[in-house]
Amino acid sequence: MRSKVWIGSIMMIALLCGCGSDVKVIEGDVAVKETAAQAQEKKQEDTAAEVTEEDTAQYSGYVFTYGGTVIGMDMDAAPIVEQLGEADSYFEAPSCAFEGIDKVYTYGSFELDTYPTDDKDYVSSVVFKDDTIATTEGVGIGDPEDKVVEAYGSDWTEEDGMRVYEKDGMKLCFILEDDTVASIEYRSTAIEQ
Amino acid sequence: MKRKRIIRTACSVLVVAFTLFMLQRLLLPKYVSDVVEGRLIAEYYAEEKDHDVIFIGDCEVYENFSPKILWEDYGINSYIRGSAQQLIWQSYYLLEDTLRYEKPKVVVFNVLAMKYDEPQNEAYNRMSLEGMKWSMAKVKAIQASMTDEEHFLDYVFPILRYHSRWSSLKAEDVEYLFTDRKVSHNGYYMRVDVKPAKDVPEGKMLADYRFGENAYQYLDKMAKLCRDNDIKLVLVKAPSLYPYWYDEWERQIEDYAKQNGLLYINFLELKEETGLDYDSDTYDGGLHLNLSGAEKITAYLGQALQDEYHLTDRRSEERLSKIWADKTAAYEQDRRKQEEETEKQ
Repeated sequence: MRSKVWIGSIMMIALLCGCGSDVKVIEGDVAVKETAAQAQEKKQEDTAAEVTEEDTAQYSGYVFTYGGTVIGMDMDAAPIVEQLGEADSYFEAPSCAFEGIDKVYTYGSFELDTYPTDDKDYVSSVVFKDDTIATTEGVGIGDPEDKVVEAYGSDWTEEDGMRVYEKDGMKLCFILEDDTVASIEYRSTAIEQ
Repeated sequence: MKRKRIIRTACSVLVVAFTLFMLQRLLLPKYVSDVVEGRLIAEYYAEEKDHDVIFIGDCEVYENFSPKILWEDYGINSYIRGSAQQLIWQSYYLLEDTLRYEKPKVVVFNVLAMKYDEPQNEAYNRMSLEGMKWSMAKVKAIQASMTDEEHFLDYVFPILRYHSRWSSLKAEDVEYLFTDRKVSHNGYYMRVDVKPAKDVPEGKMLADYRFGENAYQYLDKMAKLCRDNDIKLVLVKAPSLYPYWYDEWERQIEDYAKQNGLLYINFLELKEETGLDYDSDTYDGGLHLNLSGAEKITAYLGQALQDEYHLTDRRSEERLSKIWADKTAAYEQDRRKQEEETEKQ
């Protein structure tokens, strides 16, 4: 009888412990971000350092191009930040309780935000700050709603009052005021998980 | 024969239950050497429950207010029931939970949590909820907080959620299997280092600045719970510069406080009055205050509470004074230790 109890206990322990590898460990809030980031990173590595707008088709989701630098969500932020040069301002926001720092780089016309996973930073969002820049598809702040539909179609959802186009695990978000684009933001969905 | 079989079965069940219990204790995160914020909620239960003021809310309460100053300067006995990204429904149920043990005269709630209208993140949920003792308040808090991917049973039997930790167990998991180490000073998380606030980003444009219905519903419930228990509810916005506090949010809280006859203090607007200096009073660039900053704004809050509610100065109570003498010694020791470590860096 005693041996049965021990066998039962050992089986239960094995059952509980054995299947651990595919379950998110709750010691930080970033473990689930790896898949999107790693997939994007692989594509990033496959592309030469100097990228052109034509290269953007190789990337997942909608990407933002600025001065020849392609910025996609969940891409490794280090080479992007290096290519963009010195930011106008830089801010670090440590997450409450967990290790890791969200970083905010401001480059005049846009803000680039990153999130940490393991020892690397990945792009979490790009937010337009003025009307001097446009998306790769040609839409900028101040453009009419028709131009958004022309560029991205009618397959969008409304989220917190924003018009959201979702593609390959990222979101392109527009805020429209009086049928005019008032805000544009590229956003990783990894940070929402 | 039958009796023997029953005894054997009972023993078997007990052995398995004990094994599972021990495993669960071992696998649960201890929150001792890192992510210590995960221990904050549980620490309250070891306290003598005779507080005049209870703080509830997110990191903007447990990193920005120091109960030691309320005691030292005003004789107010207070405790912070704060946790990382504490959502308003968690604050509400933590207040319900607190009222099972004591009835404070004042409850202070930090309003940043109004920005969230729905469950956010399991890791933060667990830091706010797992430390709560079991009660209907905890059950309701879990139900209100779970994201779509979470399961209630995982909170009842945390081993179901943490079993994958077996491969990353540390020495502290054994060391703190049955013991705890205090990580806070009456719920206050002390930091003495300095990192000036610089280049703090402005808030992104939002499509809708209105706080959500769910958030308002819990604020209403909190106000009612306080009213029903003859507790004064005070709303505060801590002087954290990031996340950004929008003017549109400020107006909604001002209106709510006015309509409900609540005291509302926005410390972002009291830089001169509190003497807060963002070059020296924050340890992470303006997100949270360091000890110097926390002591400044707590001194201001203490005066405001005295002016408004004339709380009794309890420094003449011998028993309480003794408790606070011990607490103050631990507080000063922690301060000195951190200052020495900071100087070494």
